[in-house]
Amino acid sequence: MVKPQKTLNQQLLRYGLYVLLGVAALVYLLPLWVMLLTSLKDVEEIRNGTLLSLPGTINFDAWSKAWSGACTGSTCDGIAPFFANSFRIVIPAVLISTLVGSLNGYVLSLWKFRGSEILFGAMLVGCFIPFQVILLPMARMLAMLGLANTVTGLVLVHITYGIAFTTLFFRNFYVGLPKELISAARLDGAGFFFIFRRVVLPLSTPIIVVCVIWQFTQIWNDFLFGVVFSGAQTQPVTVALNNLVNTSFGGKEYNVDMAAALIAALPTLLVYVLAGKYFVRGLTAGAVKG
Amino acid sequence: MASLTIDNVTKSYGQTQVLKGINIAIEKGEFLILVGPSGCGKSTLMNSIAGLEDVTGGRILIGNADITQAAPKDRDIAMVFQSYALYPNMSVRENIAFGLEIRKVPKVEREQEVQRVASLLQIEPLLDRKPGQLSGGQRQRVAMGRALARRPKLYLFDEPLSNLDAKLRVEMRTEIKKLHQRLGTTIVYVTHDQIEAMTLADRIAVMRGGELLQLGTPQEIYDNPVNKFVAGFMGSPAMNFVPCTLVASDRGLGVEITDGAGNPSWLPVPNAERLGGYIGKQVILGVRPEMITDPVPHKAGEAMVCEVPMKVLVTEPTGADTMLVAEVNGVEINCRINPGYSTPVGQVVPLMFDMSKVVFFDPTTEERIDRA
Amino acid sequence: MNEKALPLPETGSVRPVALSFQDRLAAQLPKLVLAPTVIVTLVAVYGYMIWTGLLSFTSSRILPSWKFIGTAQYSKLMENDRWGVSVENLIIFGGLFILVCLVLGVLMAILLDQKIRAEGALRTIYLYPMAISFIVTGTAWKWLLNPGLGLQKTIRDWGFESFTFDWLVNPDMVVYCLVIAAVWQSSGFVMALFLAGLRGVDQEMIKAAQLDGASMPMIYRRIILPSLKPVFFSAFVILSHIAIKSFDLVAALTGGGPGYSSDLPAIFMYQHAFTRGQMGLGAASAMVMLGGVLAILVPYLYSELRSKKNG
Repeated sequence: MVKPQKTLNQQLLRYGLYVLLGVAALVYLLPLWVMLLTSLKDVEEIRNGTLLSLPGTINFDAWSKAWSGACTGSTCDGIAPFFANSFRIVIPAVLISTLVGSLNGYVLSLWKFRGSEILFGAMLVGCFIPFQVILLPMARMLAMLGLANTVTGLVLVHITYGIAFTTLFFRNFYVGLPKELISAARLDGAGFFFIFRRVVLPLSTPIIVVCVIWQFTQIWNDFLFGVVFSGAQTQPVTVALNNLVNTSFGGKEYNVDMAAALIAALPTLLVYVLAGKYFVRGLTAGAVKG
Repeated sequence: MASLTIDNVTKSYGQTQVLKGINIAIEKGEFLILVGPSGCGKSTLMNSIAGLEDVTGGRILIGNADITQAAPKDRDIAMVFQSYALYPNMSVRENIAFGLEIRKVPKVEREQEVQRVASLLQIEPLLDRKPGQLSGGQRQRVAMGRALARRPKLYLFDEPLSNLDAKLRVEMRTEIKKLHQRLGTTIVYVTHDQIEAMTLADRIAVMRGGELLQLGTPQEIYDNPVNKFVAGFMGSPAMNFVPCTLVASDRGLGVEITDGAGNPSWLPVPNAERLGGYIGKQVILGVRPEMITDPVPHKAGEAMVCEVPMKVLVTEPTGADTMLVAEVNGVEINCRINPGYSTPVGQVVPLMFDMSKVVFFDPTTEERIDRA
Repeated sequence: MNEKALPLPETGSVRPVALSFQDRLAAQLPKLVLAPTVIVTLVAVYGYMIWTGLLSFTSSRILPSWKFIGTAQYSKLMENDRWGVSVENLIIFGGLFILVCLVLGVLMAILLDQKIRAEGALRTIYLYPMAISFIVTGTAWKWLLNPGLGLQKTIRDWGFESFTFDWLVNPDMVVYCLVIAAVWQSSGFVMALFLAGLRGVDQEMIKAAQLDGASMPMIYRRIILPSLKPVFFSAFVILSHIAIKSFDLVAALTGGGPGYSSDLPAIFMYQHAFTRGQMGLGAASAMVMLGGVLAILVPYLYSELRSKKNG
């Protein structure tokens, strides 16, 4: 770009730009800030103050109640057990869907066969259907397999509908690798899995990170599958949070609601802060590349 | 090392035939070059030899082994790719040793082999680097090293120099030639660069549209092309093609030409006995630029040499020679002139035509009509 | 043209190197690896779609029954007032949500593309809502929009006594609450899409336009934004997809209320299929949702495939 001499007008424009962007940033931060403030107040302060008034003393009572004492529907053990449930669902589902997706992507990009493109297209439909069309039969199927209301059942559901995305990620990444790399390894005498393990996988770190983060966020934040396929004991944290917020016994404890919401949001927020670059890449990968 | 026999190999994708019955046999230790325009089937043929693509019909033999159906790993072939295809996550050492490792060669032997190859190609200081840290020329050497390490029966080179800049390409060309002379390896080498083909090959196979047009030594291909395509493909600048009529006169058989200024001349024709059937007919005369020069005294008076006045249209000095463009029978021709010879543009100057090596083609079929 | 006969080795001495059983198996490996996914997709995507489709033509209530009653469930659906409200809500919600997200996203992307000092930090702030669950978003905005203790009270306490902002409990306005929360969550994503697009614009093209004397607003309007048409297209498809599937946000923010004034089709489907024992009706509503998604998606995929073939 050319670097022109800045006039006063341009200077003002520049300041205006920063003000605008700053205000927008505050608006985006506001809900998080209000949640945090509210979670640190007691009920009395909430009733008397405004959203933005600071708590008199910082106390974490609401946090500890949200964690281990609040009532979520039928039980009053806080959201801790459900937080653990979410991890029990997310970890195997993410690992398996990523592994299967990487193998699928490897086949669909570097070992294409007659009809493989059509199969890929057919798989992608899984990314786009509204899940409402599969809820009823899936519930029947899980019941038949004896997996209704179990963590295993939820893991299977998340894997089933996550593979389309993970396959898309890996396939689009591997398409960018030179095909000659595979030819060279084949002439060197390496087979399908050997090439995958020794040549392709070591190059896949960025896409693995993108895929794991994407899957983690998706599955952690899922509510629909959780509410349909889980039982009272196997709910993920999103379902428990919704129950906590939307069932009231006596007075509404907004500070506990906010603390619970923050706890439920914490893992994905943490991932976002630590690996935002990869998160954005995952979001845009499917969209921009198509 | 082993010989290679390609016996009537065909390949089709559905209705399209990309290889139409290719027959090539080379001896052990020979350097075969496949040339042709893109889409001529040379890369497909190469991949078929490697086993990376299946053939539809025919046989491929390495030595006495029919490998038409064999898996790539069982063919004992190494390949150097245009993009080098080095494994980016492995060091140079690991790249070179990878094939040996898969074949379960013990570690000590592997290391010996890496050292041998590295010293052969002078890449010892690079052994611990990753491909990403190497220059184009260095990668090229590593790619060759990876092929050499396995001591395969046959080497395939798929346009290995086309990603290098011009200077490096000439250097590596010499390097490859030296290696071949030293190791006596059997090599099949694909290129679209006809200079590479001329300088490196023991034999050249010129392909077009899935067909093998001509197989021969570089000099055979250059001097005695089977058709106008082969004649035009080899040599730079390309052979001049002049439409003209064969006339029998009291001086013998010859062709009449007219230059850009309208000066008519008569040129003698060699091998007149083979052209009997074309007297009075339209033919295409093929004459290489170096056969049209400034008048040189030592050639004057030879039977097939004539001096002809020509109008100079353009001159392009290249340093060693000057390329002169003139017009004959309505087409532009290139002539190779000594830079010391004064050729002012627009003037008519005498040029010397050496007709002893000219060739003739049929204007419709474009096949040679004067070939022995 | 190859005049010389080939010096073929004598036939007796030729030793064919054949494929071993392992090699034949290895050649099928790619297909074997893909097979489980293909089977799962066939069953759990296509099979289930057909299953739901069939179910929508039956009189199933709490349990599936295979008594076919033609399109009765669809007629029932069309006459259902609650479904009508939810479709109407979806049109308002989806339309506004997409429009506002696109406008905000483009604006923020352009503003951020002016070589801003703290671009990285700002981008992080605009995009963080995308990382959290719609349930959390719903919970937060439910609190902010709460007329008794939320924004309304805050602003009244600041001295604007007559300020009223009670959309959350106003059946006519509650759907706009959904829009606010959804825009807050997704507009940063649209910004990221456009920012990536802007960074991909050929800088030499912009230089050429500057040399032609075009002003920056002119360059954006006439050159840059038109070149981002594919990004608009992708963003539109993704946003409409989010809108049609919206379930979590409604569940957490309004629960569909007051009454059923903020119902969306996804909520309608869930409640009829799973809590009200109206499986046939739920299946029919799911099929209508699928139809809606396909109506948007098929043209998109078609044009994508075509542009790929041409490109």
